[in-house]
Amino acid sequence: MSKDRLEIAVRRIRPDEEEPDRLPLRWSTVTRLLAFTSPHRLQRNTLLVLCIFRAMALPGLAWLVGVIINGPVTAGDGPATFRALALFTAFFIVADVALYWRIRLAHQIGENVLRDLRDKLMAHLLTQPLSFFHARRHGSLISRMISDIEAMRNGIQNNFFISFVSLGQMACAAALMLLANPQLFLVLLAIVPCLLLVHGFFRGKILHASRVQQETFSRVTSALAETVQGIRVTQGFAREDTNAGIFTRLVRSLADNVVKTASLTSLYLPLLELNAQGFMAALIGVGGWAALSGTGTSLGDLVTFFFLADLFFSPITIIGTQLSEATLAMAGAERYFRLLDTPPAWTDKPTAGECPPLKGHVEFRDIHFAYIQDRPVLHGISFVAQPGQVIALVGHTGSGKSTIIGLLAKFQLPLTGQVLVDGHDLADIRQETLRRQMGFVFQQNFLFAGTIAENVRSPRPDATDEEIRQAFRDLDCLDLIEDLPAGIHTPCSEKGRGLSMGQQQLVAFARALLANPRILVLDEATSAVDTLTEARLQVALARLMKGRTCFVVAHRLSTIRRADCVIVLDEGRIVERGTHEELLALQGAYAGLHRDFLSSTT
Amino acid sequence: MPAASDPPTADSRDATLWRLLRIAWSYRSDCLQLLGLQLVVVFLTVAVIALAGVGIDFVRHCTDRTVPAPSLPFFVPSDASDKAVFVWLGAGILVAALLRAVISYVFGLVSVRFLHGRIVVNLRSQVFAKLQQLSFRFFDSNASGSIINRVTSDAHAIRLFIEGVILQLAIITITLAACSVYMLRTDWRLTLACLSVLPFQIWFAIRFSKKVRPAYEENRDLMDRMVLGFSENVQGIQVVKGFALEPRVMGRFAGWSEDIRLQKRKVFGEIALFWPVIDGLNRLSMAILIGYGGWMVARGEIALGTGLVAFAGLLQQFSAQVTTLAAVVDNAQVSLAGAKRIFEILDTDPGVATEPGAASPGRFLGRVAFENVSFEYQENATVLHELSFIAEPGQRIAIAGATGAGKSALLSLIPRFYDPRSGRVTLDGHDIRALPLPELRRQVGMVFQENFLFSNTIAANIAFGHPDATQERIERAARIAGAHAFIMALPEGYETFLGEGGVNLSGGQRQRIAIARALLLEPTVLLLDDPTSAIDPETEKEIMEAMEAAMVGRTTFIVAHRLSTLRRADQILVLEHGKLVQRGTHEQLMAQDGHYRRAILVQSEGAPA
Repeated sequence: MSKDRLEIAVRRIRPDEEEPDRLPLRWSTVTRLLAFTSPHRLQRNTLLVLCIFRAMALPGLAWLVGVIINGPVTAGDGPATFRALALFTAFFIVADVALYWRIRLAHQIGENVLRDLRDKLMAHLLTQPLSFFHARRHGSLISRMISDIEAMRNGIQNNFFISFVSLGQMACAAALMLLANPQLFLVLLAIVPCLLLVHGFFRGKILHASRVQQETFSRVTSALAETVQGIRVTQGFAREDTNAGIFTRLVRSLADNVVKTASLTSLYLPLLELNAQGFMAALIGVGGWAALSGTGTSLGDLVTFFFLADLFFSPITIIGTQLSEATLAMAGAERYFRLLDTPPAWTDKPTAGECPPLKGHVEFRDIHFAYIQDRPVLHGISFVAQPGQVIALVGHTGSGKSTIIGLLAKFQLPLTGQVLVDGHDLADIRQETLRRQMGFVFQQNFLFAGTIAENVRSPRPDATDEEIRQAFRDLDCLDLIEDLPAGIHTPCSEKGRGLSMGQQQLVAFARALLANPRILVLDEATSAVDTLTEARLQVALARLMKGRTCFVVAHRLSTIRRADCVIVLDEGRIVERGTHEELLALQGAYAGLHRDFLSSTT
Repeated sequence: MPAASDPPTADSRDATLWRLLRIAWSYRSDCLQLLGLQLVVVFLTVAVIALAGVGIDFVRHCTDRTVPAPSLPFFVPSDASDKAVFVWLGAGILVAALLRAVISYVFGLVSVRFLHGRIVVNLRSQVFAKLQQLSFRFFDSNASGSIINRVTSDAHAIRLFIEGVILQLAIITITLAACSVYMLRTDWRLTLACLSVLPFQIWFAIRFSKKVRPAYEENRDLMDRMVLGFSENVQGIQVVKGFALEPRVMGRFAGWSEDIRLQKRKVFGEIALFWPVIDGLNRLSMAILIGYGGWMVARGEIALGTGLVAFAGLLQQFSAQVTTLAAVVDNAQVSLAGAKRIFEILDTDPGVATEPGAASPGRFLGRVAFENVSFEYQENATVLHELSFIAEPGQRIAIAGATGAGKSALLSLIPRFYDPRSGRVTLDGHDIRALPLPELRRQVGMVFQENFLFSNTIAANIAFGHPDATQERIERAARIAGAHAFIMALPEGYETFLGEGGVNLSGGQRQRIAIARALLLEPTVLLLDDPTSAIDPETEKEIMEAMEAAMVGRTTFIVAHRLSTLRRADQILVLEHGKLVQRGTHEQLMAQDGHYRRAILVQSEGAPA
C-alpha cells in the first residue's frame, strides 16, 4: 500500500506545462514570425544578400583550392601559384568580413525582434481585464514571456538564416561538382538516399527520446521545488530518508532517459559521418578506376571532389539540427501568438468618455452578473450610496461581495443593469479615468519591489517625500514607519524579511490615501494581526475612510458597526440591509452571522 | 543568492579547482578508458585521410609514370593490377570508416553512462540528501529558486568539468598529436609552417571566452530584472489596474526590455568576430600549405596526395578541434562557478543534527521545560532572551505577544528546527539535543500558519510522516481533525490528488488535513502556530473544533490571539521583545495590570459589549 503511494508520487509529479514542446513547421506561423523583421527590413535584406554570398563563397573557396592544386601547383608554376594564392587570400578575407556581418546582423535582428515581441505582449496583457489574469496561472504567462520568446529568438536568429546558408552551400557545392565531373557526381547522388534514410530513421526516435527526457527532467525539478518549499514539513515529520529515496529514483530514471537519447545520437552522428567517408571510399575506388579507364575522369577531378564533398555533406547535419530546433521555436511561437490573439473579453465603448470630477454618489440598478454562462453570481442587485457614506458588505464566502466591488471599479461589466456614479453610467466612462478617482485596499496588499515611499507614490509619481510622510501622519502612524531602519525608504520586498503584515497594510492605506479618492474600496484583510497593531490599523482606517464614499468587504465587527449601511448578501441576493443595530433587531440572517463572528473572535 | 554574486577570489578559485581535479582523479580509470577509445577514433580518422592521399598519388602515378608510386598499405596484395589497387584502397577506407563509426558509437555510450548515469546521479542525490538535512537557517537565507538551481544545473558542474574540460582538452591534445605525428613523418618544415597559425587561434579562442562570459552574466542580470518586474506586475495586476498604472508599467517594462537589447548590441561585435577570425586563420594556414607545399610538390620533395591533399584534410580536423577550445575555456569558467556553489552546500554544517551517543528512552510523557533559553536567528539580534518555564504533560500552553515578539521562534526550538544559543530545552527531563533527531520530531506534531501540502493524494499527505500507515489509521486521524466528512464528499475520496492538475482545497480544508497529518503520528507534544490566522472568521469556527479535539491528551503549545483560546489555556506565556513578561492563567493575568490586560481590553473594544 505504502509502496503504491510512493509510486503514485513519483508518477504524478507533473511538469508545469502539458502542451507539446515541439510542433511541425506551419507556414502561416513562420511568415507571421518573419513579418516581425519587417520594421528592420534594411538590416534583414542586407543579411539575406550576405547569406547568399556566404553560401557561394565557401564552395567557391574549396573549388579554388582544387583549381590551384590541379593547375599551377601540379604544373610547378611558382609565380602563377602565388598569384592564385593572392586571389585566394583576398577572396577568403572578403568572405570572412561578410561572415562577421552575417553573424552580427542576425544577432541584432534577433534582439530587435525579441524586444518588439516582449513589448507587444506586455502591452497586450495590460489591455486585458482582471478576469483574464484570474483564469491563468502566473507561471504560464512568465513562460510565454521568457521561454517561448527565447525559443523564437533561435528561430529568427539562427534556424532560418543558418538553414538558408546551409542549403545554398549544398546547392553550390553540388553545382560545382556537377560542372567538374558529372560521372563522379552520380556516385555522390547515390549516397544521398542513404543519408536521408539514416536521417529519417533516427529523427523521430531522437525527438521522442529527448521529449521523454525533458518530461523526466521537469519531474525532477518539480519534485525538488516541492521539497524546498515544504522543507519545514519534511523535517518536522522526519521524512528525509523517504524523500531522498524517491528523489534518487527520479534522478536515476532521468539518467536512464539521458542514456537512451544519447545512445541514439551516438549511433546517428557516426552513421552520418560514415556516409561522408563512404563517399571518400567510392571516390577513390570508382574514381581511380575511372581515371585509369580513360572515361574523362582526371586526377584534378578527384582532388576537387576531395575538397568539395565535405561542403556538401556537412550542411546536412546542420540543417537537421536547425530543423529540429525550429520545431521548438514553432511551438513557442504558436503559444505566444495564441496568447497575443486572445482579445480582451470586453473593452470600453469607443464612445466612452472621461469621468467627470465625482462627489461620490453610487447607485447599482438591478444588476445581474455571471462569470461563467448560466452560473449567475448576482441576481438583481440594487442600492444607493450617498457621498461620504460607509457601506459594509457582509455574507458568506461566495455570496457576491467581491463581485460587487469588481463591478463598481469596472473590473467587470454587468450582464444587465447599470452602475452609476454621480448619475453617470459606468458603461460610458473609460475605466482608467474612473479609477483615478477611486482608491483601493485589497485583501492581499501587493507591494512592488522597492521602498515604502516608491510604493506609496505609485498613484501619484510626482509626490514628494514630505507628502508621503504627511500621508502617514494623516493616518496617525508616521511613528511606526519612522521606527523602521530606513524610515519611508525601507525596502518592502523579499518575503519574510521585509515588512510585517500590519506594516504592509499601513503602506497600502497610505497608497490609497495619496490617491485622494472620492470612492474608496476596501477588501478587509482576514489575517489576524496582534491586538495592539490591530488597534493602530483601526485608527488609520478610520482616518482613511473619513469624508469618502466607502465600500468595505467587512471581516471586522468594528468596521461593520461603523457603517452607515450594512448590506447582507446571500447567494447573490441582498437579503437584509440597514444599520448594525437595525439588523440585529431583525433577528434574521445578519444576527446569525453576528453570532458566528462573536464565537470566533472573542 | 548572495553567495553566487560574490566575485570569486583567486584563493577560493584555486581551492575549487584543486578539489575538482581530485574528484576527476578519482574517476581516472573511466577517463582513461574513454581516452583509449578516442585515440582509436582519431587514428582511424587520420587513416581514412591518408588512404585517400595514397589513392590520389596512385592515380597520379598511373597517369604520369615519371611520378614515383606511393608505398601501398599492407592490405593491398603486391600483385594487384592498377585498377584492383583502387578497389582495395576504397575497401580499406570503407572498413576504416565502419570501424570508426562503431567505436564512436561505443565511445558515446560509455561516456554518457559514466558522465550522466554515474557522476550526475551521485552528485544530485548527494546534494539533495544534504539539502534536506540543512537547518532552516539555510533556507531562510537562500531563495528557493537558487536552491533548486543548485541541484539541477550546478550538479552538472562536475560532469561539465570532467567532460568539457579534462576530457575535451585530452581529446584536443590527442588529435593534435596524431595529426602532427603523421605530418612530421612527412615533412617537418611544412608541418611547422602550417601549424604556425595555431598559437594565434588558441590565444584568440581563450581571449574570446574570457571577454564574452562577463558580458553574458551582465545580460543575465538585466534579464532577471525584466523577469522580476514582469512577474511582479502580473501578480499585482489588481493594484496596477486599480490605480490605473498601466502606462507607467508599460513604460518601465519597455525600458528594461530596451536595456537588454542595447547591452546585447555591444556584445555582438565581439561574438560576431569569433568565427570569422578563426575561419580566416584556418584559411591562412591552407594558403601557406598550398604555397609552400605546392612548391615542395613541384620540386618532388613531397607527394601530392599523401603530402599536400592529406595535409589539407588533417588541417580541417585540426581547425574543428581548435574551435572547441573556446568552449573549453567557457566550460572551465561555468563549471568552476557551479562547483563552488555545490561544494558550498556539501560543506555547510547542517547546524542541527543528531549528536553522537544519542539514545531513545522509549515512551515519552510530554513534559517540556525551557531552562534559561536564549536564541537568535542572526548574530547579535536576540529573538528569545533567557526563557524559563515548564509545561506539564497534557497541559495547554498559549503563547501571546505582538508580531516579532518571538512566538514562532519559541515553538521552532521544541522540534529542534534551530538550537538555542544558550540554555537548554528538555523533554521528559532529557536535553533534546541528546535525543535522536527523527525520534524527537516524531514526538512533536506541528501545524503551521500556512501548511504546505504536497502534490499527492490526500491519503499520502495525511500519512506523510509515516508512509506505511494503514487506511484505518489515516481515517482515524482525519476524523479527529474533522476532515473525514469533506474528504469523503470529494469524487475520489482519500485518493483525491491535490495540487497542480488536482483538486484545490479551501484554506480551512487544507488546515484540517494538516491537523490530521500531525495527529497521525500520535505526538505527545503538539505545536499549533496560529493555524487560523490566514483563514476568514467563518471557517475559523470549524478549525477551532478540530483543534480542540486534537489537543486532548497532548501537551499543546498554541500561538493565539483569540480570547476564547486564551481563556481555556492552563498557562499563558506573554512574550514581549523576546522576554517572558507575564505568565499565568487568563484570570490571573487579567488581575494584573500588564501587557496582557491592555491587549485584551483593546481587543474587546472592537467587539460589542
